[in-house]
Amino acid sequence: MRTEDFLREAAALPGLSGNEQAVARYIADAFRPFCDEVRIDSLNSVIAHIEGRGPKVMICAHLDEIGLMVSRIEEDGALRMRNVGGVDPRILPGMRVTVHGKETLPGVIGAKAPHLLTEAERKKNYDRDDLFIDLGMSADHVKELVQVGDLVQLEGGFTKLLNGRCAGKTMDDRSCVAIMLRAAEALQRMDTRADLYFVASCQEEVGGYGAMTAGYGVAPDFGIVLDVTHARTPGAPALEVCDLDSPAAAMGPYIHPLLRKKLVEVAKEINVKLQDEVMPRDTSTDTDDLNAVRGGVPCILLELPVKYMHTSVELLDMHALTECARLLAAYLAAIEDSWRDELWI
Amino acid sequence: MLRDTLKTLLSAYGPSGNEHAVAEAVKGLIAAHVDSMRVDALGNLIVEKFGTDEHGKRIMFSAHMDHIGYVVTNIEENGFLRVNNVGGISLNLSTARHVIFENGVEGVLYCEPAKGEEKAMRHLFIDIGAESKEDAEQVVQLGDMAVYAPDYIELGDHRVASPAMDDRCCCALLCELLMYLDEPRNTVVGVFSSQEEVGVRGAKVAAYSVNPDIGVGLDVTAWGDTPEVKLPAVELGKGAAVKFIDRSMIASPAVRDALLKAAEDAGVPAQREVLPFGGQDGSAIQHTRAGVPAGCLSIPCRYVHSPVETIDMRDMEGALKILLKFVENA
Amino acid sequence: MDLKTLCGIHAPSGDEKRLRRAILEEARKLCGEENVRIDRMGNVLCHKKGTEVGRPHVCVSAHMDEVGFIILSATDDGLLQFRPIGSIDPRVVVSKRVLVGEDLLPGVIGALAIHLQTREDRERVLGYDNLYIDIGAKDKDEALGKCPPGTYAYFDTPYTPFGDGFVCAKALDDRVGCYNLLQLMQSGYPGDVTFCFVTQEEVGLRGSIGAAFTVRPDVCINLEGTAANDLGDVERRDEVCCAGQGVAVSFMDRSSVYQRKLFKKLLALADAGDIPHQVKRGVTGSNDAANYQRAAGGALACTLSVPCRYIHSGASVCCLDDIDAQYRLTRAFLLNA
Repeated sequence: MRTEDFLREAAALPGLSGNEQAVARYIADAFRPFCDEVRIDSLNSVIAHIEGRGPKVMICAHLDEIGLMVSRIEEDGALRMRNVGGVDPRILPGMRVTVHGKETLPGVIGAKAPHLLTEAERKKNYDRDDLFIDLGMSADHVKELVQVGDLVQLEGGFTKLLNGRCAGKTMDDRSCVAIMLRAAEALQRMDTRADLYFVASCQEEVGGYGAMTAGYGVAPDFGIVLDVTHARTPGAPALEVCDLDSPAAAMGPYIHPLLRKKLVEVAKEINVKLQDEVMPRDTSTDTDDLNAVRGGVPCILLELPVKYMHTSVELLDMHALTECARLLAAYLAAIEDSWRDELWI
Repeated sequence: MLRDTLKTLLSAYGPSGNEHAVAEAVKGLIAAHVDSMRVDALGNLIVEKFGTDEHGKRIMFSAHMDHIGYVVTNIEENGFLRVNNVGGISLNLSTARHVIFENGVEGVLYCEPAKGEEKAMRHLFIDIGAESKEDAEQVVQLGDMAVYAPDYIELGDHRVASPAMDDRCCCALLCELLMYLDEPRNTVVGVFSSQEEVGVRGAKVAAYSVNPDIGVGLDVTAWGDTPEVKLPAVELGKGAAVKFIDRSMIASPAVRDALLKAAEDAGVPAQREVLPFGGQDGSAIQHTRAGVPAGCLSIPCRYVHSPVETIDMRDMEGALKILLKFVENA
Repeated sequence: MDLKTLCGIHAPSGDEKRLRRAILEEARKLCGEENVRIDRMGNVLCHKKGTEVGRPHVCVSAHMDEVGFIILSATDDGLLQFRPIGSIDPRVVVSKRVLVGEDLLPGVIGALAIHLQTREDRERVLGYDNLYIDIGAKDKDEALGKCPPGTYAYFDTPYTPFGDGFVCAKALDDRVGCYNLLQLMQSGYPGDVTFCFVTQEEVGLRGSIGAAFTVRPDVCINLEGTAANDLGDVERRDEVCCAGQGVAVSFMDRSSVYQRKLFKKLLALADAGDIPHQVKRGVTGSNDAANYQRAAGGALACTLSVPCRYIHSGASVCCLDDIDAQYRLTRAFLLNA
């Protein structure tokens, strides 16, 4: 499947943290042609296995997405909501949403009109509690179709821009699932020693629980986590952003120095431009959780820069994505048994 | 009777990390009704009622025994005790309180006058009537914990207010569940957990060692039915609440739906709970080992983390029916 | 190995290899080659099989890592931009000497001269965005050529005994624990015992997560350095613990409520053995005991700390007698477990 088609289709499927069944099934199907075994575990992580006799390696990108959940239905039929994962409330006013009630319902997030706000109110952002979802229905009709606890998905869409750049919902982190998929496909034509588990993990946006539990089940020797990172935008702190056009590799105490050094070597060998991103403490990705599984899993973190993270227009560079996949495949093919013994020497 | 069980458990002393008196009270109530009981290194009481079907599931229910309190961090020359919080103590509710220690020593908690500083735990002290440090040290040591003195207030026909209602009401519920279960097909593991109020610590350890197939946290939830409080959209007396989400966990859809169905099958009302904050033992079960489908059944409770935590006994009775049906259906 | 040597080895979180090597060599001598191994988190685990059955499996743990710095980038005129590894108050790093990278390149952390400061400058805390390590490089290329992003930097402080049995050094937190762990290897506990030298405590109690799951002891005694707040007319209620008044025994801190029976047993042993000790007042800080207490099926745990003033700075201070008291109390526990 073309990566673009995968992204377009995967991004359209609902997969809010904790309720990822639909997107998990889709991703499991996508991996099946390239894997010896594919299963969905008890919490909705997809685990796709390519057998090998070398070190057991878990490659991990999360499949869940941020969104909203109905928390209360007002007398007039307006829906109040809470976030599922880190939704920026500034993106919500005027956003079109899909409410997964007894039917799939289109809605729009409303707020008090600016004309009716006081001067002081106008100067600050809307609080989530000031916002509501409008379904364009009578209160009775709303109450018939919607209940507290129903899921609300943010506006979808996938837009191709100039220079191989694309923008859409849930590029965090389905773009990295696409990278894993491309790598799995490429490995069909390569020799590998390693015993590979591609994991599309659930519940990353609420705390890395998918990587933690799938990691416990897989019990790998090494972990390779893929996630998005911030690309440069106006006003972003210069030391904390990357260029959009090439993958980055994290470094710092949570990253294993030897496994990372090997990554840099492979990148150099196959001519992939790789940026450095220093993380002095935790990485705020599945790495933190996978690293702490069982007796510990030495990890590296490979990152795809995106702009506008956690909005519905996350923007990436297709070339960076394909380069990242090329690097991942080459790295997996380079893994040798001896790495296990060299880790701490 | 549910009400008697509740009353017994409400009177036991048990701040986080010091739950053994609650464990003893629970043991006394259920010893005759379960097949095994043990207390682990964290102070969790873990009991099992074996299922009749050897291929049956292991269902873990967890209700925490501990409640919030104050730990003595300094004993001053004049006999006053300086304290810090154990769990989510509200500073605003920490003045003019009757408190009690494990050995029965009583005290009153007060706050020194503000000197322009922001009020903090370091401004609180407990007066146990001691006139000197030596005097106080006869009965209280550093690290001892005080809790709101037990109380039991009946409000109208159905409602009860008490400190420690969070989460003794669910301990009572779990005791009753174990008493009423008659030769269940599935194995039921009841965990009376420790240290929930300081970060779901006991249940984490218990979930690992129990290694269940399904988990259900039993806890109180907040309320949305008193003046100017609207969230969560949960009301007292409208039935137990099936949790969808809180800050610690998104309920596994299968368990959540099974709880809703159990309520329907049992013919009792249930509410749907979307909580913007909070956490409970179900999260520890869901996230243990390779992941365990887990949910939570909540008892709506007003004024949580105060000395007057209030519940409705009808919600308790409904919850018991839901849990019995849930075990049967699993 | 003496404390001076231990403090002199640079090992910020994630960059513990030099200290790991030194401890590995020493531990092999003391514990037997076959009983010492490195686990997946880079921890050094030394297991001694017991001779008597029925004794609890005791784990004694200390962390190898210290606070330090990591290089992010450089300015056009060759100043290195950096961040702390572990929590270091930026106010304690101004005008200090550091060593950068494997080759221990000397550097200094300078600041705008007081003559050039405005009134606002004087009041403002310099954050890490406004602090730089100067290695004398002429430009960005030279600076990053010698110290690429991800290079670690270390406090450069000589180990200095001073006063009435006190010592001033970097990394006392937790080389005092490492020092005592090595001393304790010959204690002769008749049950199973594992000595754990763990990594990455200062960046979120990381190394011990793995060690605890691997070792799964019945009891853990965690040896730490903890913040003393005892000098300069501190109100009693804010003291936490006092340097020179013995080993501090914890009942609770931010990461653990320690089991009361173990806490009381340690106090009783200290009383019985005439070992200088104090109860740690206050519940600040978090440490590895949390992971041992709550890994897998759980364990009893307690933390015994040497009070350290100015902890997490380049010049921490502790009392040598308190280090000895930490050793004696842990040993007393091992002989009575």
